[in-house]
Amino acid sequence: MESAKFKWMIKKDLLTLWRHKIQFASLILFPIVMIALCGWGMGGTVENTPVVIVKQTSGDITDQVINTIKSDETFDVIDIMSEPDEAKQMVDKGEIKAAIILSKNFEDNNTRNAVLYIDSSDQLTTQTLVPKTEQIFAMLSETISLNQVSAEPQGNALTQTAQAIKLQVNKIYGQIDYIDFLLPGVLAMTMFMSSMFSMGNAIAGERERGELARLFMTPTSISTVLSGKIVSNLIKEMMRAVILILSAVILFNVVINGNFLLLLLVMLLSALCFVGFGMMFSATSKTQEDYIQVVMPVAMPMMFVCGVFFPTETMPWILQKIAYFLPLTYANDAFRGVMLQGAGLEAIGIDLLVLLGFTILFFGVGVARFNRQI
Amino acid sequence: MKYAIETHDLVKVYDNGFKAVDNLNLFIEDKTIGGILGPNGAGKTTTIKMLTCLNEVTSGTAIVAGFNVEKNPDEVRNRIGMVPQLISLYKDLTVRENIELCADFYNIDTKTKDQKIDDLMELVDIKYAENKFISELSGGMQQKTSVVASLVHNPELLFLDEPTVGLDPTTKKTLWQLMEDLNNQGRTIILCSHDMYEVDRICDSINIIDGGKVVANDTPQGLKDQLMKNKEEYNNNIRNLILELEKENDINNQEEISHLKASLTDEDEKVTVMVSNISEEMINSLNELDVVKNVVHNGKGRLSIDLKRSETSVNYVITSILNNGGNIASIKTNDPTLEDVFVAITAKKRKEVKK
Repeated sequence: MESAKFKWMIKKDLLTLWRHKIQFASLILFPIVMIALCGWGMGGTVENTPVVIVKQTSGDITDQVINTIKSDETFDVIDIMSEPDEAKQMVDKGEIKAAIILSKNFEDNNTRNAVLYIDSSDQLTTQTLVPKTEQIFAMLSETISLNQVSAEPQGNALTQTAQAIKLQVNKIYGQIDYIDFLLPGVLAMTMFMSSMFSMGNAIAGERERGELARLFMTPTSISTVLSGKIVSNLIKEMMRAVILILSAVILFNVVINGNFLLLLLVMLLSALCFVGFGMMFSATSKTQEDYIQVVMPVAMPMMFVCGVFFPTETMPWILQKIAYFLPLTYANDAFRGVMLQGAGLEAIGIDLLVLLGFTILFFGVGVARFNRQI
Repeated sequence: MKYAIETHDLVKVYDNGFKAVDNLNLFIEDKTIGGILGPNGAGKTTTIKMLTCLNEVTSGTAIVAGFNVEKNPDEVRNRIGMVPQLISLYKDLTVRENIELCADFYNIDTKTKDQKIDDLMELVDIKYAENKFISELSGGMQQKTSVVASLVHNPELLFLDEPTVGLDPTTKKTLWQLMEDLNNQGRTIILCSHDMYEVDRICDSINIIDGGKVVANDTPQGLKDQLMKNKEEYNNNIRNLILELEKENDINNQEEISHLKASLTDEDEKVTVMVSNISEEMINSLNELDVVKNVVHNGKGRLSIDLKRSETSVNYVITSILNNGGNIASIKTNDPTLEDVFVAITAKKRKEVKK
């Protein structure tokens, strides 16, 4: 008797799952997407990092250095240029992760100097690129020294070996701790997740509980109801974000390098964009359960693709391209720019414009899909 | 005649192709209490949603309080109130806050708002709980708050969807009285309910909806009279219903049921008498009466008596019981109730659908 009851408990739940196609599809797709993203995003290595090499002189050693760096998968040498300042500007603007600057006297045996000018706000890339570059230069130094010993057996080879190539690492934002690196991403992610769930409750939840029906029975426009919900959720998200930042500053001595007002602007625009995202998906969901099933397979992978925990450079190119189409990427980028790099409005202007574009799109689609039908 | 609600060939087809309302022609007179009955899935809720502008009309027209729900939805919304079955109040707001929210959504003048809310809370006796959260209230109190929230803009027409489900008899009576009072003040009340006693008690007219159409429309008594007049049409349903009642009264003997069924004619009437001191003589005496066709002692002081229908037959029965030392506690004649009407009409519809 008990076994029959037990069987029914299992059968009932499985039948429900099978007959609820959205839940069933989510059950199949969600784990596949998650493991694929974890494997590629979290378990991947830093590859194809965009760098430039500054070549100020010509010679065999210089060519050897360039060829070795080019042949290494860690680097994607997008240009070889002659002006160090131009290369540095590209790093400062975030167009590339690092510039490898070979000195003017690089072909001179006694003054082979090189500088790795690197964007240290991307902590994982820095952690990979610095030792990799050091390793390459050490190996080349050894080769050069050996060649010199063979060429000049009577010379002072030991001194020359020690001086073969001197690499100086210049981290443009200094030493960044992991918490510093993580905070902007966690801030963006927290705002994203909480906006999503808040809007699910505010629209799908209220629709399910009949509270929206009562409002829509009154002579009130959809825009009044929606804008009220949006503003209240914005206030909540801004409070949440400020508390998160203050906690990080107080508990972990995190330093905000940029302008606080600009940070507030990024927070406001990001929250608006994420609230719009939640509204778009909850506009036609009849229940909160439906909303969550629809939104989770879209939202959860965004955390992995958009570089919250790990740079997008560690992912396959297809995911890197997908990241361009997701708002969290731009929020994340803007937060990192202001908080780690002390970037100004000009530097994060593109991010803000794209976020604004997404916001308009989400609200447009959300309002178009929303109706008073209960 | 002025109608508070009139629909002409109203149709609602959902996106999945399901036709919930099928050329519905519904008319409810102004300033009356109109009941809407129907089995589950009959189209009542969809109809109410269209009438309250919560669902779009697929085709046909619906006029509520003189305005077309499609062309002038805000005019309709300003004139109607709705007490939904699901208590759709904000649980974390107080009684007063919920009502104030509704008042502001109905653009009530701020100068008169507070007084209006106070008066309404006094009317349904929830003023003392105005600062309590909805989540702290009983079902009855929540429903009263819902009523006040629906009345705050002084609507001409109030829809109530299963307003007394799950409420205790005292609270039910309070709400019925409130509906009657509101109607006496000149409001039209539309009551959607499965409680036949409730509908029978307070409604002036009843529309029975089935399969998305109005299948019967009259006063409660008119519907019962129709049932008796159209016995031929509904005969099987009435007789089955009587036997169903007998089963409930613990008659388990199938032979007895068959016998009873065979002995009943269209002219028969059934009386159930609760009586103490039942004796063999009393039953014999009853059986000897010309008007009595059969007497069954169901135990627990209950006699089921089949009578030939006449105005005086029940009098003979009472006299006979009293003469034989019986004390009558109650007498129940088997005249059709609104429930019988509902079952008969909807069963007829089912048969037609099956055919």
